[in-house]
Parts: sequence; C-alpha cells; structure tokens
Amino acid sequence: MSEEKEKSEETQISRRSFLGLATWSIGGVISLGLGIPAVAYIVGPALQKAQTQNWIRIGAKNKVALGEPTLFKVKIERKTGWIVNEDEISIYVLTENGRDFIAMSNICTHLGCRVRWIDEQQRFFCPCHNGVFDKAGKVISGPPPRPLSQYEVKIENNDLFILGG
Amino acid sequence: MAARLGNWLDERLDWRQVWEAIFLRKIPKVNWLYTLGSASLFVAINQIVTGILLTIYYVPTPDHAYDSVQYITTQVPAGWLIRGLHHWGASAMVILVVLHMLRVIFYGAYKFPREVTWFSGVFLLLVVIGFGFTGYLLPWDQKAYWATTVGTSIAGTPPLIGDWILLIVRGGEELSAITLARFFGVHVWVLPATLLLLLLIHLYLVIKKGISAVPGKGE
Repeated sequence: MSEEKEKSEETQISRRSFLGLATWSIGGVISLGLGIPAVAYIVGPALQKAQTQNWIRIGAKNKVALGEPTLFKVKIERKTGWIVNEDEISIYVLTENGRDFIAMSNICTHLGCRVRWIDEQQRFFCPCHNGVFDKAGKVISGPPPRPLSQYEVKIENNDLFILGG
Repeated sequence: MAARLGNWLDERLDWRQVWEAIFLRKIPKVNWLYTLGSASLFVAINQIVTGILLTIYYVPTPDHAYDSVQYITTQVPAGWLIRGLHHWGASAMVILVVLHMLRVIFYGAYKFPREVTWFSGVFLLLVVIGFGFTGYLLPWDQKAYWATTVGTSIAGTPPLIGDWILLIVRGGEELSAITLARFFGVHVWVLPATLLLLLLIHLYLVIKKGISAVPGKGE
C-alpha cells in the first residue's frame, strides 16, 4: 500500500518536472525566436554598406587657382532610411602646376567639424578644437590624428570629377 | 553556484515566497478554457516587445508614417516579422480577451469575492479596444485614414456632446497630423500605462483571491 503510494508520488513528481522543463524550453524557444530577429532588426540598418560611389562633377578645372586651395560646393542626393536628402558637400581642390590636382574633404579628422581655409595665414583652421592643417591637408598642430581625407580625382573635358557618394 | 546565488538573493529578497505565491499556488481542477487569461497575457507581452521595436523606426507624422512603415516592412531585417507579429497579435488580443470574458460570464466567475477582478477586466477590455482603434490609424494608408474617419465620425454621433467629442478626438475639424500624433501618443504612452496599472491589479487579485472552480450542475 505504502509502496504503491510512493510510486504514484514519484510519477507525479516526474510529470511535474517534465511539464516544468517543457514550459521553460518552449519559453526559451519563443524568446530566442523573437530575440534573434529583434537584434537583427535593431542593428540591420547600422550595418548596411555605404552607398555606391559615383563620379561627381564638381566644376571646371580652370577655376582652381595655382598653389591655393579652392573651395567647390556640390549638391548630392543621399538616401537615409526612407528619406532622400539633398546634401551639400564642400571640397577644397589644390593644384601646384595646373595638371595634378588633389581634392580634400573639409571635414576635420579630429571630430568632424568643418575646416576653413584662411588665406592670410595659408592654413586650414578647425573652429572646434584648434586643429591646423597646411594647404595640402597635413596636420600642423592641434588634435587631428590624420591629414584631411582626399577624394580620388579625374579630369574629363576640363571638368573636375571626384569619386564620392 | 546558481543555487548559492539563489539562496543569497532569497535571504535578502524573499523571492522564493513570491515565486511560490505566483506560480506554485493551489488551484481547483479546471479545464483548458482557464488558459485564455494567460494566453491574453502572453499576446500582451508580444505586443509590448514588438511595439517597442516598431517605435525604433516608425515616425508618426503624415509625411513619414507611411514611408517609415514601408521601410520597416521591406528594408529592415526581420522588420516584416516584427510588424507582422504586432499586426496579427493585435487581432489575436481582441479575440482572446473576448473569449476570456465569455468564459468568466458563462462560469459565473465574476461573482463574490471576485467582482473587482471582473471590473478591472472590463476596463482592460476597453483598453485593448482603445489600442486597436488608435493603432489602426498609425500605418497612415488609405484603409487607416478612412477607417479612422468613419470611427471618429461615429464618436461624434451622441447628441449634445458629439461634436465636442469629435473635435477632441481628431484634434480639430479634420483628420490631420494632429490626429495622427495624438493617436500615436495615446497608443504608446497613455494606453500602455493604463494597461500596466490595470494588469497589476487584475493579476494581484487573481493570485490573492484565487480562481473559481468549474461550477457544478445546478450551481
């Protein structure tokens, strides 16, 4: 009698622990089934590759003064999420001989403020943390870790193109 | 290690007592219809999680709402899944809470001492319907726009105060950016806060008062 009772208790306990385990397992599967897509959902757009780069016409090459960084501004279309924006980008172009051109971004390599060419001092200055660059974009003083970034340049029919996006 | 940590926490939080009160409480012999409340709770949690995720990309203005929803559905990884779960979960929610209510009615489970549980449940049903009504506008497509035009017009039919209700619900004469923004605010702040409060009361009472048994013949 008592043995039988013990036995039935034993099967009850195993049934209980089986159901407990089943509940936890199903809960785990559902959590993972939602959790993994949720992570992909959150990080997805952040991991998307930058847009394809295109050759962008920025102006006539004879507008560039010899030995002096010359500012070009062009409007480009950028798509972020579901919004298409027209952004203006600024490029400083420098040529020493009228044949070889370098095109520099005006974005400071320190923390992304925009640098300006000051003619009298023959330097680029960043207003945020006193970064100073020479006319070829090399760092002279201040916190910037790298020279100004350069775009790839090509010339077609006297027009300057940069590779960007 | 886990057991030691559990004991350490239990000495400080008494969490085992809470756990036992919630999950190991004694219940009468019941049937599968008694799972409808838990099923509603499960879908509610699904709605909360997927709803929070949707707000990461959704923008409640007329010039972005539709596009941001399309972006979620077609561009964001698993966006179709998150939106789909929220969309179908909303319908499931309404069906489940209505069935849950019918079970309580047919078994007479609303009677003493569970009247307050019942009242909180009735308000929870209204909150769920409010979620459905405000959420329906948010995709800002043709169906959403005209459904809400009709729905708010119905809200404007009572005599004397109807016109006033219509103005308040729409935030003006016409369905507009203001309507969309206030429906969004109600959908993601006002109703969730109300739901949480009522849900805590409801669950506290379910646990504290226990659930009713299946009524016998002639009862």
